[in-house]
Amino acid sequence: MSFARHFFARPTAAFGFAVFLLIVVIALAAPLIFARGPFNIVGMPLLAPGSPGLLAGSDVLGRDMMVGLAYGARISLLVGVTSTLGAIGIGVLLGAVAGYYGGVVDDLLMRITEFFQIIPTFVLLMVLVAFMQPSLGSAVIGIALISWPQVARVVRGEFLSLREREFVQAARVLGLGDANIIFTQILPNALSPIVVISSMMVGNAILTESALSFLGLGDPNLLSWGSMIGGSRSAMWVAWWTTVLPGLCIVVTVLALNFIGDGLNDAFNPRRRG
Amino acid sequence: MKPRYIAMRLVKTVLVAATVVVLSFFLIRLAPGDAATVMAGQAGYADETFLKNLRAEYGLDQPLPVQFWKYVDAVAHGDLGTSYVRRQPVLSVIMERLPNTLLLDGFALLVAATGGVWLGALAARRPGSAGDNAVSVLSMLFYAVPQFWLGMMMVLFFAVWLSVLPPFGIETMGADYTGLARLSDVAEHMILPGVTLALYYMASYARLTRAAMIEVSEQDFVKTARAKGISERQVARRHILRNALIPLVTYAGLQASLLVGGTVLIENVFSWPGVGTLAYEAVQGRDNPLLLGIFIVTAILVSLFNLLTDIAYAIVDPRVVLER
Amino acid sequence: MMLDRRAMLAGAGLLAYLAQAWGQSARDRIINAMIFADPATLCYPLANTRLLQQICGNINESLLLFDWQFKPHPNLARAFEMSPDGLTYTFHLRDDVHWHDGVKFTARDMVFSCGVMLPQLNPRSRNSFSHIDTITAKDPYTVVVRLKQPFNAFLLSLMASSAPMMPAHIYEGTQFQTNPFNLKPIGTGPFKFGEWKRGQYIHLVRNEHYWRPGQPGMDGIYFRLCPTPEQRMVAMETGAVDLAMADDIDTVLTSRLKANPNIVTNTHAYDGTAEIFVMELNQRRWPYSDRRFRAAFLHAVDREFLVKAINFGVGKVATGPIPSTAPYYDPKVLTLYPHDPARARALLDEMGLKPGPGGVRHRFGIMLTPDGGGAFTRSAEYIKQALSEVGLEANLEATDWPTQLRRSGNWEFDCDDNSYGEYGDPAIGTSRFYLSSNIRKGVPLTNLQGYVNPEVDRLFAQAAVAVKHEEAQACYSRLQQILTRDVAMLWLYERNPVFFYNRRLKDVINGPNGPSDGLGAVRLA
Repeated sequence: MSFARHFFARPTAAFGFAVFLLIVVIALAAPLIFARGPFNIVGMPLLAPGSPGLLAGSDVLGRDMMVGLAYGARISLLVGVTSTLGAIGIGVLLGAVAGYYGGVVDDLLMRITEFFQIIPTFVLLMVLVAFMQPSLGSAVIGIALISWPQVARVVRGEFLSLREREFVQAARVLGLGDANIIFTQILPNALSPIVVISSMMVGNAILTESALSFLGLGDPNLLSWGSMIGGSRSAMWVAWWTTVLPGLCIVVTVLALNFIGDGLNDAFNPRRRG
Repeated sequence: MKPRYIAMRLVKTVLVAATVVVLSFFLIRLAPGDAATVMAGQAGYADETFLKNLRAEYGLDQPLPVQFWKYVDAVAHGDLGTSYVRRQPVLSVIMERLPNTLLLDGFALLVAATGGVWLGALAARRPGSAGDNAVSVLSMLFYAVPQFWLGMMMVLFFAVWLSVLPPFGIETMGADYTGLARLSDVAEHMILPGVTLALYYMASYARLTRAAMIEVSEQDFVKTARAKGISERQVARRHILRNALIPLVTYAGLQASLLVGGTVLIENVFSWPGVGTLAYEAVQGRDNPLLLGIFIVTAILVSLFNLLTDIAYAIVDPRVVLER
Repeated sequence: MMLDRRAMLAGAGLLAYLAQAWGQSARDRIINAMIFADPATLCYPLANTRLLQQICGNINESLLLFDWQFKPHPNLARAFEMSPDGLTYTFHLRDDVHWHDGVKFTARDMVFSCGVMLPQLNPRSRNSFSHIDTITAKDPYTVVVRLKQPFNAFLLSLMASSAPMMPAHIYEGTQFQTNPFNLKPIGTGPFKFGEWKRGQYIHLVRNEHYWRPGQPGMDGIYFRLCPTPEQRMVAMETGAVDLAMADDIDTVLTSRLKANPNIVTNTHAYDGTAEIFVMELNQRRWPYSDRRFRAAFLHAVDREFLVKAINFGVGKVATGPIPSTAPYYDPKVLTLYPHDPARARALLDEMGLKPGPGGVRHRFGIMLTPDGGGAFTRSAEYIKQALSEVGLEANLEATDWPTQLRRSGNWEFDCDDNSYGEYGDPAIGTSRFYLSSNIRKGVPLTNLQGYVNPEVDRLFAQAAVAVKHEEAQACYSRLQQILTRDVAMLWLYERNPVFFYNRRLKDVINGPNGPSDGLGAVRLA
């Protein structure tokens, strides 16, 4: 597959892929390696990294930072991937319909996406999550709801250009229904830009989820990197690792995803390289 | 020609603001909690008659369509209602805080643009060099960093460890400086949050400048200029930079729009008394009128910034014709 | 460019320093304190929260002051007597006290405050003053209070925050909640209301005509808004503020401030309130109605670790409904519940709550008090973890204040956390949570759990009216015995909040009520 070769030819893409894979493995393996969970209190609070048995130190409640970081990966990845899938689902659907039918439907979609561009989206997200009561589900739904417009715009653009193409007209002549044409004919050809931005979207979703948890709008029963940073606001003054380490995890994960995105972009658009 | 375009865009701005009002009104009404429960919460308790009087005072006991029309009517007259939590007019509360946010945003924009363009130009001069790669990597890095964490790292480094810069607020509490002293005090407090805000966008400016400059420098008219013997510096200044301005101006406009509503996290970390912290308090306190007011003011500002960007765009590139 | 900027900043800094030096002496005589949020009102009885106690304690005064042994001393009442049968109290008021607007303070104000305004607005006052049969002004400076039956905590119920005197000429005949003076209060205290800039500060100015000679020692107080704990700590460290009151400083940072040579700490400033951090179970629901569940809960939690580690050494393990620093505390009769997870499991087994799939015996919710992730939330997180060790899965429910009040008032919770103050006498601060008569739906700070025990009701009533101290002690001892045996509430730890102040001030804390008694005595050190 020349696609894979193109992708991995770029050193950053390969690096990003490897790192991301590692994080996924850690996330999946966390319950196996750290069976007692991240809430287990192992000793006195705010012990420095390198203390006996605590490679990453302990947090403000005396919990093992290392375990918290590993479990935090699960939340970040879960929210990042699910909300992105949700955003893509909604965005593809609405974008396809708008791009295919045009006219009033398209205008309506454009107005709605404009609305999302004009209002402060993070504030909207806060309102949504607060209204739905902070939880994992509300974070996923909220992030999906503010992320779909960008997907819809891209899909709409693709559909607008693709719907006049010959293979579509041929399909119509053959008597295929609209839904059929949309999903089986045009959509497969419109998806490559979505794939390219999907990894960036996951990265952004992870950043957004961590921001929500930082502000205390995340699930109070779960430990995520953002909530670890949020819970360390006072502790940072006496224990820097409670803030630095979870943040570094976020940076590494999102960086890896961005590298993957860059690689996908190059692989899909080989003429842009160089 | 141009005035008519501007007038049309202003009308469009009003229409968009109207849409924001309508949609936001119903969106926020969905959230549970009203003035009565909020204020009862603050007082520690409240009896039924007090709650009933409060609801009547805020018009919450009327049917939803009535509430909506009353609200729209008020907004048209410039009255954005009264904040549940602060018992003050929403518009004045927002206007008190807005200058602080705009100040921070302006500073961040300036730092991001100048720093980013300088870095981008540096990288573009020798594509593929170590310097160029360093700029690229840094750009990628800053895209991956959570803003609030970056802010906390700044606090950790400059306030906790080095103790050279103030980590919180817009001015030294209780000092009551005036004039130049106040200016320098505010400037000192603005450094950490402003730079944090700027760093993320600086990466984008650098990338854009670098890409635009490289693209332009490969075009014929530049090669011609070089062949004619005009110095590299003049070539850069006269041709490359000017052409790179278009995407930069567009991006600056985008950044301004993003910043208006997007400073919640930075303001929260640095306790900067702006619209961002106001929005956060409004969400926490279920202060619906204030939230709605913030949405509306932000929408209007963003629309205005978009308009300004388009005008600036037209000025920079005379080839662009502003008509629709 | 960089150099110029630095020079400019330095120059401006010098100017600022000079300006500051000129204004030095005037600014020195101002006390700088902090508030974490703007209060909704400055009408003391309307919202008797700690925030208001610390601000309005300077504006409004009460009739009596109390010393470290909780003995009453004259304040606005220059003398007072109690009849031998304990039914009649006579108060002789000072005749040289004026309200901040110049009107004289008279018996009419006391009759109005204790007879009308306080019972109407303040649940604690309503409780205490329900013992009053009649309250009459014999002359402009003498008030006679007749009780329905003897109430030995009556004088204590006149302590600072429980019974501030309010101006009758301002409030009588008005709608208390909407009176405009709620935002610009009038009192008799050492400081009067100056200015309220919402979102920035509340400024109190010196009362030039204050009745106590030599007070106030300072010229004014600024309560500056400081929303986050880190901000407040920095403000103390830089000297921007002089006082950090209870809960201003997160316990995580206590050690940092304690190590600061410019800062003095006082751990007795809140002995008068004597708060206990508790968790309440909705005893109308099974299994919380079963005493064994509650006992298992306490056995599962290591309260020593809770205080030492989670709360960074601030506080002391609670052993019962009455704090160890309060009068009538009797350690001899208490049933204790030391950390013993095995015993907890045994009790739960006995109840029929056997471990199900995943080792979970029972799931329930703990409704959190919104404290921004501070000490209360951390305690709840630790408790959740401790409970899971014995098979009890607690789901932490984050709320905001309106929701928390609504749910607790309407009993829509399994378990919640709270902090309850003793306020000097069990009849004032403790009884309200265990009396069946104080089960009122929709009202916070009442018997939310629904605990009902007729013997407890009887004993509280008897203790309150006991004229002899020994009789009261006997009742309260028996009460402590019963309540701890019943595990009537989950007493976690006594809070002992730390009070910090800058070394440049002295005479800041003069009694168990700390800042609630006002800062009139504060002077430059």
